[in-house]
Amino acid sequence: MIDTAARWMMLGEWRAHPARVAVAALAIAIGVALGLAVHIVNQSALGSFAKALASVNGAADLQVHSTSPTGFDEALYPRLARLPGVAAASPVVELVAGNNGTKLTLIGLDILRAVKVTPALVASAGIGSPIAGGQNPFATDALALSPAALADSGRKVGDHITVTAVGRSVDFTIASVLAGDNEAIAVADIAAVQWRLGQIGRLQRVDLKLAEDADAAAVGGAITAMLPADAQLVTPRSEANRTESLSRAYRVNLEMLAMMALLTGGFLVYSAQSLSVARRRPQFALLRVLGLKRGRLLRQMVLEGGIVGIIGAVMGLAMGIGLASLAVDRLGGDLGGGYFRGSHPELMLSPGAALVFMGLGIAVAMGGSLMPALEAARAQPAVALKTMGDSSDPTHHPLAWPGLALLGLGAIAALAPPVLELPLFGYAAMALMLAGGVLAMPWLARTLLAPLQSVAAGPALGLALKRLWGAPGQAAVALCGIVASTSLMVAMAVMVTSFRGSVDDWLVQILPSDLYLHIEGAEAGGLDTNMQARLAATPGVSSIRFVRSLPLRLSPERPPIALTAQPLDRRNPDSHLPLLRPSLAAPPGEIPVWVSEPMVWLYGKHAGERMTLPLGDRARPVFIAGVWRDYARQFGAITMASADFTALTGDATRSEAAIDVVPGTPLPALTSALRQRLPAGIARQAQFAEPRQMRVMALALFDRSFAVTYALEAIAIGIGLAGVAATFSAQTLARRREFGMLRHIGVSRRQVTAMLAAEGALLGAIGGIAGIALGVVMSQVLIHVVNPQSFHWTMDTRLPWALFAALLAALVVAAAGTAVLAGRRALSADAVRAVREDW
Amino acid sequence: MHVCMAALALDVAALAKSVPGGRMLFSGLDLAVAAGEIVAIMGESGAGKSTLLNLVAGLDTADGGRVTVDGVALSGLDDDARTALRRDRIGFVFQAFHILPHLTLAQNIALPLVLGSDSADAIARAEAMLAAVGLAGRGADYPAQLSGGELQRIAIGRALVHRPALILADEPTGNLDAETAERILALLVEAVRSSGAGAVIVTHSDRAAAVADRVLVLGASGLGPR
Amino acid sequence: MRWLLVVLALLLGAAGPVLPDYAVVKPGAVLRFPADHGAHPEFRTEWWYVTGWLRTADGKDLGFQFTVFRTRPPVDQANPSRFAAKQVIFAHAALSDPSIGHLLHDQRIARAGFGLADAAIGNARLVIDDWQLLRAADGRFHAAVASRAKGSAFALDLTLTPGQAELLQGDAGYSRKGPSAREASHYYSVPHLRVTGSVVRGGVRQAVTGTAWLDREWSSTLLNPAAVGWDWTGLNLDDGSALTLFRVRDAKGAALWAGGSLRRGDGSRLTFAPGDVRFASARQWRSPRTGALYPVAPVVGARIDGRWHEWPVTPLFDDQELDSRRGGGPVYWEGAVRVPGGRGYLELTGYQSALKM
Repeated sequence: MIDTAARWMMLGEWRAHPARVAVAALAIAIGVALGLAVHIVNQSALGSFAKALASVNGAADLQVHSTSPTGFDEALYPRLARLPGVAAASPVVELVAGNNGTKLTLIGLDILRAVKVTPALVASAGIGSPIAGGQNPFATDALALSPAALADSGRKVGDHITVTAVGRSVDFTIASVLAGDNEAIAVADIAAVQWRLGQIGRLQRVDLKLAEDADAAAVGGAITAMLPADAQLVTPRSEANRTESLSRAYRVNLEMLAMMALLTGGFLVYSAQSLSVARRRPQFALLRVLGLKRGRLLRQMVLEGGIVGIIGAVMGLAMGIGLASLAVDRLGGDLGGGYFRGSHPELMLSPGAALVFMGLGIAVAMGGSLMPALEAARAQPAVALKTMGDSSDPTHHPLAWPGLALLGLGAIAALAPPVLELPLFGYAAMALMLAGGVLAMPWLARTLLAPLQSVAAGPALGLALKRLWGAPGQAAVALCGIVASTSLMVAMAVMVTSFRGSVDDWLVQILPSDLYLHIEGAEAGGLDTNMQARLAATPGVSSIRFVRSLPLRLSPERPPIALTAQPLDRRNPDSHLPLLRPSLAAPPGEIPVWVSEPMVWLYGKHAGERMTLPLGDRARPVFIAGVWRDYARQFGAITMASADFTALTGDATRSEAAIDVVPGTPLPALTSALRQRLPAGIARQAQFAEPRQMRVMALALFDRSFAVTYALEAIAIGIGLAGVAATFSAQTLARRREFGMLRHIGVSRRQVTAMLAAEGALLGAIGGIAGIALGVVMSQVLIHVVNPQSFHWTMDTRLPWALFAALLAALVVAAAGTAVLAGRRALSADAVRAVREDW
Repeated sequence: MHVCMAALALDVAALAKSVPGGRMLFSGLDLAVAAGEIVAIMGESGAGKSTLLNLVAGLDTADGGRVTVDGVALSGLDDDARTALRRDRIGFVFQAFHILPHLTLAQNIALPLVLGSDSADAIARAEAMLAAVGLAGRGADYPAQLSGGELQRIAIGRALVHRPALILADEPTGNLDAETAERILALLVEAVRSSGAGAVIVTHSDRAAAVADRVLVLGASGLGPR
Repeated sequence: MRWLLVVLALLLGAAGPVLPDYAVVKPGAVLRFPADHGAHPEFRTEWWYVTGWLRTADGKDLGFQFTVFRTRPPVDQANPSRFAAKQVIFAHAALSDPSIGHLLHDQRIARAGFGLADAAIGNARLVIDDWQLLRAADGRFHAAVASRAKGSAFALDLTLTPGQAELLQGDAGYSRKGPSAREASHYYSVPHLRVTGSVVRGGVRQAVTGTAWLDREWSSTLLNPAAVGWDWTGLNLDDGSALTLFRVRDAKGAALWAGGSLRRGDGSRLTFAPGDVRFASARQWRSPRTGALYPVAPVVGARIDGRWHEWPVTPLFDDQELDSRRGGGPVYWEGAVRVPGGRGYLELTGYQSALKM
């Protein structure tokens, strides 16, 4: 425990400099708070998303799910129902549908079966009991809505409602309200949905209840063996994996950013402790002389850091919970990332996570104290006792190799492959580079300042240069905070700028037409050939390309990929696809497809290879003719020629259209003409957009999804600048005797101030330049390692020069300003008298 | 001849030390200080007076020779053991006082008592020592409120509070005006005598040297009489 | 007379776009076998209702009932979906074991289709998941039921061999159920079925023998709106006679309608008019679960050749109440009973609360 001497020393120090302790504790608190808040929000969002999925799925033991929204043949249902080990099977038609532009999930249920398999779904359906209920449960026009869907529709029970899906609009009567649920769900009789929405013979799901004594794995194996290509077995675990993988990379990235903030806080503790050690070196020396053992001194110093860490961690815990509830309230569960649509999660607090983040905060604080503590314990007490607070030996040359070695290790780590589909080594590389950069600062500062030594300068600048050159270790303490936070921010900024620029270019490339049409809720089918012909014949349309887009599940463990069919020249698809390399020619008789970049990462599919697509009841072999860049679908996309898609699936409906306009045709008039040619229900689901609007929307979405990233960065920078300010003011105050001496020998107050300003400006400039350089290097890790490994896309580096300039200027001004402010305080005190002072 | 080792507070034999450049500060230096004896050491600046004190305190290592404090030979002790030896058997008084500004006067005096194992009556003993150095009742004050003379009284209290066998004083009056220096010297001598410890005072001041039982001068050939 | 009529009334309430055109029960229709053992899908509702007594090898008496209902809900007949609920099959099974002291029971319900649930035409071939009631070419019925319901797992695997011809109830199978001529059903019974097979209780399979009764009814029309419940009993008498008695009660407990028949071992048959049937309560039992008060030991009477004959009824045990509210059904009492010189089943509905129509 803390012995008396240590307690006296700590309390004495904190009583004398409460602000420094508070700033260090606050830095840790902010780091812990951010980490914990991001974690809580992520867990809450994931929890609410899983709950939403469970409410649609009704928590069956096992589920057979179609690979695409067009479903599988219903003949599978009786075969599953008769399988040994299956106690009950519930067939389900599940369609993405729309009502007046709002989205809902339309579920066709055999209530008599569902009551055995997914009682939750039926209980919530309210029309569950065919025996006691007041309505005909098999009515073709009855619909039960979830409260969310009812609210979206603005209707009440008994009203009529039009539901549009698969290119059809169907009128229902709202018969009842489902039990409380946040998801927009509508439940109707399975036969009614099959008939009225063109799903005759098709099912999207069969939910299964297993016999109590059944071996789930064995039954699962038997099911898998009998499934056609367009159906797959979904277990609760694979479903959980799918949910989790949906936003995993995004969440991990946010948590890593929060960790970076915590790390920056650690640097602040380090610089605070370093200064404290420097200032108290004679005190420690005295204690050593009086009989304090080396080990106990070390322990006491680390303990001091630990106590700062504990205070910070406790504050951070409260701040983190507050921040999380605020963020969920304002930004939603995905912090603006766009992964969880319209979810309003409950906060999920886990004591385990809280302990981990508090522990991290304390560890970072203790780690930040360790280096200065080692230095203090190593000092020769007799020497230290004689010298002044600011001890440094100009003849000592700082070493370059430890920093460079860490940078090299970082570069090596960046080459490592992802772990568990996460760029863990990428993050390790960034951490190593950060540490290496900070460690190399004394050497770099000296190297950068060396040429300036010979420059003729006024006394103020000359003194400043001499001091910085002669005491690079001291300078490095101040610099490490600047370098750490600047480099992190620059790395993120370069990545985001590169990303945004690449997305912008890509948008221009993929949106060459004048007008785009998208039908909402058309996943299982949209515009039929008649409607397509009517649209194409609209006056003012010069050419129209119809596109079919549908989600396709390739693996039960992963979110579905997007399959698109569009009119493509099989030999020359480049005009419509942003291909990374020229397309390969498919061997005769094979169907060419082009996969997006994430497919390469997630499924290991490369150009020139073959894969199978679960379309229809068979696995269809296709040839991968090329890879294209896609920023829209993180989980992969495949595109194929329209004709091939129709031939494979027999599905000639289309869900999107790209329209080129006869020059001179006013777009609003054309849009309304096109809309009028669509059936009323579909017209309500039709969204028209011009490329310009789409780009603005896409970039706005982009900025929204990075808003939290920006905020986390800004906080890291803020902590870094706070560290700089604290460091400068502490260092300056510690040099009061030096200033007093300078004043004694005739240096004017103005000159001392100028000297301090010059020192600050130089430090800011060196830190800024080093930080920007390190940040650009780290950004390459983000761009070429972290992003491809977690989001599976690449981008071209773009450097935000204006931001660099502004950042550098801000750092120089802030550093110089802080130094001058602190200097004025030091000088206003009776600096002259300070010469006589002990310390 | 060292007839009775136990009676000696300090026994230095054949001590040799050179500076990093290679210049020999001294060699073959012998010094014996008996319990209750006050030895003053004078010499030119750079003669190695402070280095001698550091060697005696175990803060520096000699090139050759032997140092025995209160019967314990320094050679062969590791850093922790030397630290423990300093804490238990040696008291220090410095020219620059070295009073910790963030601790109360009582805490400053009590430091040697709490640096090792905790002593329950540390503050009480410190208060008693405060009274002994003429600052009774001011244990809760902070050093900032004290004059140089008062600071050195605290330092003397701190040097004696743990009843060391040996007091090492490095220019104890160097930062004081003549009148104050006189009173501090008197206090130091009185305190050392009443504690029965041996004392080595390194000083430039003749007045300071005058209170010693023996006055030795440190030169290149070692310690010699004045 | 079965409680499911009420259920069906609820099912049939709503109006759809292309409603089924239900066949009408008419007097004078001639029943033909084995075709009429099969389903009559053009009628709204139909049931195969087997009740009987079983005796284990160690001489213990058990009661059982296994019922399959077919109903034709008012769904749009134009719907081409194979899931369209044009026929719904519902089955119910219960085992009365005095050593357990209450009923073990379970049920199945499904829309007909995909071979998973079906009521075939032409002969009795009823399938709902793993439950079956099949009539073989030699006239024997086979009933298979297995329940894995928690706490009341049981299974029946029984062969029912007819010893007598089909008993046409009412007027050659045209059976009135209420004051209006529309309130009627086609109704025949097969009494004195010889039972062999096995029963599984508590995981133990035991061979059983016994005597059972099959009731067959189909109709499209409803009960009288004033009816709140009914009492029914079918008794296999030791002399080879079969006695059927039922009455439909109004809210005051008075009979809205009553009827029944007695067929003697020699094949001669009496049909009872409403005034020829009596149910007199002798002992009542109150359910500790639902609080309902049932006349579990009535004295039933019938006027034969102008003279009243009475049979005091004794239940196998009192608590043969069935609370099917959790499955959406009613609360009623249905149990194995004896009379001097005979054994059979007694059904008492509408005692917990008036069955709403």
